[in-house]
Amino acid sequence: MSTLHVVSHSPFSDTRLGSCLRLLGSEDALLLCGDAVYALQLQGSALTSLEDKNVFILEEDLLVRNLECPIWATGVDYPAFVELSIHYDKVNTWL
Amino acid sequence: MNVLTLSGKSIELDKDGYLLDLNDWSTEVAQALAAQAGIELSPEHWEILELLRRFYQEFELSPATRPLIKYTALKLGPEKGNSLHLNRLFNGTPAKLAAKLAGLPKPTNCL
Amino acid sequence: MTKSLLIISRQAPWSGPGAKEALDIVLAGGAFDLPIGLLFMDDGTFQLVPEQNAAALQQKNLTANLQALAMFGVEDLYACRHSLNERGISPAGLAVADVQPLSAEEVRAVIDRYDQVITL
Repeated sequence: MSTLHVVSHSPFSDTRLGSCLRLLGSEDALLLCGDAVYALQLQGSALTSLEDKNVFILEEDLLVRNLECPIWATGVDYPAFVELSIHYDKVNTWL
Repeated sequence: MNVLTLSGKSIELDKDGYLLDLNDWSTEVAQALAAQAGIELSPEHWEILELLRRFYQEFELSPATRPLIKYTALKLGPEKGNSLHLNRLFNGTPAKLAAKLAGLPKPTNCL
Repeated sequence: MTKSLLIISRQAPWSGPGAKEALDIVLAGGAFDLPIGLLFMDDGTFQLVPEQNAAALQQKNLTANLQALAMFGVEDLYACRHSLNERGISPAGLAVADVQPLSAEEVRAVIDRYDQVITL
């Protein structure tokens, strides 16, 4: 079973991303959108803990913040987001 | 605003006929509300109403049908705690009607 | 085939409606006989602290509401052990009986087991 976890809160003011990373399995994936894309600004080991995961990032949320998609992640548009939601067994949105 | 008038006293009800204030409840109020539903309260009704008031004291919410049955079975035994018995007493909608007669808010987890 | 549902409740009890909303979903699911689990995580574990006083804020008593879970047929109750430890909450003597503390690995396995997950 695989889960796509969707996080939209900044890791600098909120515990959602940290908690999600703690329980993310190797079959699972993480989609960053909204302020969660600020996760790319994490430093040191906090950033390293992201780099070895299956990470997707909503491109428009990168663009608007003048951030670039790093090579270890995959940028997605909304149609690709929908495809991802179907590809994984379930979607867990961290509301 | 719905109002139940009982021996000169006005008691406020919500739009579905449930007491707005749990403390307005009395056996007379229960009898008046039961009469509106076409029910004459028997000892079998009263023990369920008392049970519901206990449930509310313990959990601070009104039970849906399933927890009402479970709680009744736990406290009064399975011959009372089943849907047949409770439906017969309360016109087929025990969670809603019994909560109303016991002075509790309308159960929120019921359709 | 009925789908099973896991609710992850991660809001603290007294400052907003999140904790009560999560519980309402669980109770509604239980009332309809849905296979349902409830996992307390992050600040949601503060809901499990014993002897809290809802009356001090004239609020509905969430602690009392949580006791109704068993009556609504909800018996699969979990708490994230990491979240408990982080907050100094002892897994012994929680306000709700029969809550199983889980490691991160076990949390992942529980999420896998349910058809749908809602995190609030």
